[in-house]
Amino acid sequence: MHSENMILKHPLSVRIFHYLLVISFLPLAATGLILFFKPFSENAMNLAMRIHVAAGILLTFDAAAFFIIGYKRVVLFLRRVFSISGNDFKWFAVLGGYPQKLLLHKKVPVPPMGKYNSGQKLFGACVFIGGVALIFTGIALWAFPHNLPHGTVALMGHVHTIAAWALTLFLCVHVFLGIYMFDDFKAMFLHGKIPYDEAKEMAPLWVGNEIIAVNKK
Amino acid sequence: MSDQDYKYIENPLHVTRREFITITGIVVAFLALPAIWIRSAALSNNEYIKARIRNLYQDDVKSKIRVSHANKSVARYYSEFGGKPLSHLSEELLHTKYINRTKILS
Repeated sequence: MHSENMILKHPLSVRIFHYLLVISFLPLAATGLILFFKPFSENAMNLAMRIHVAAGILLTFDAAAFFIIGYKRVVLFLRRVFSISGNDFKWFAVLGGYPQKLLLHKKVPVPPMGKYNSGQKLFGACVFIGGVALIFTGIALWAFPHNLPHGTVALMGHVHTIAAWALTLFLCVHVFLGIYMFDDFKAMFLHGKIPYDEAKEMAPLWVGNEIIAVNKK
Repeated sequence: MSDQDYKYIENPLHVTRREFITITGIVVAFLALPAIWIRSAALSNNEYIKARIRNLYQDDVKSKIRVSHANKSVARYYSEFGGKPLSHLSEELLHTKYINRTKILS
């Protein structure tokens, strides 16, 4: 690893948030699917529900803690994922060049991107909106199902299911592309750093506008 | 790996006071609106529960027999046929069994 040309992309706080997100969301998705399809005995379904609730509490605390501790990073994240430009439409027109690269082994011109490409921005917006919806409806369905009218509970159940399906399906794409971009995968799970040259190729606007040299004392 | 072996970082974000107030206001509104809606929905639901409780108490006030053990028909059933509460025959005839219908209902 050429240590002199590395960018700290994911600081420790982000990595810890992501670790907790992984160990809470994966059991949530697995037990959520079990609760949706009901393939097991009553005892197994009860166990699945307990795991689902425990993982949901962990995810809620993780999200709330990161919102407070990593306030500036949350603001940055929201600013990035909810900003739309013409480049985003151009990016979606060629799907970031990934299908051409993966299926045809061809490289097509892709508009310059910031820290997140347009697909990641869409994923980020879905994670934020869907995640907030999942947390709030999940808490209400778990803690106050008998205090709310049947119609409200049913509506929350539908919102919870739709958001969960959307995020679970998005997760499959996220995991695949995360492993495909292996340097970014290592950065998120290990050391937080990515090579400068690769970042410049993948996210030229981010490197050009937002990356600064560290002041060595 | 130490945290010193990188040369570049992201330019740190500076949130101004105006931005902080705006963002916090949006977050508070975002949290408060569903909370108010859930609270009002829960309160209106509680009105139905309270009305139901009120009517059950009214029924109790009007009823001559308010508890099962004071019911002469039930007492006659036990004295002439069922033996005593929780007897084998009574349990067989009166107790219900749990049937899992969650798959049928969903």
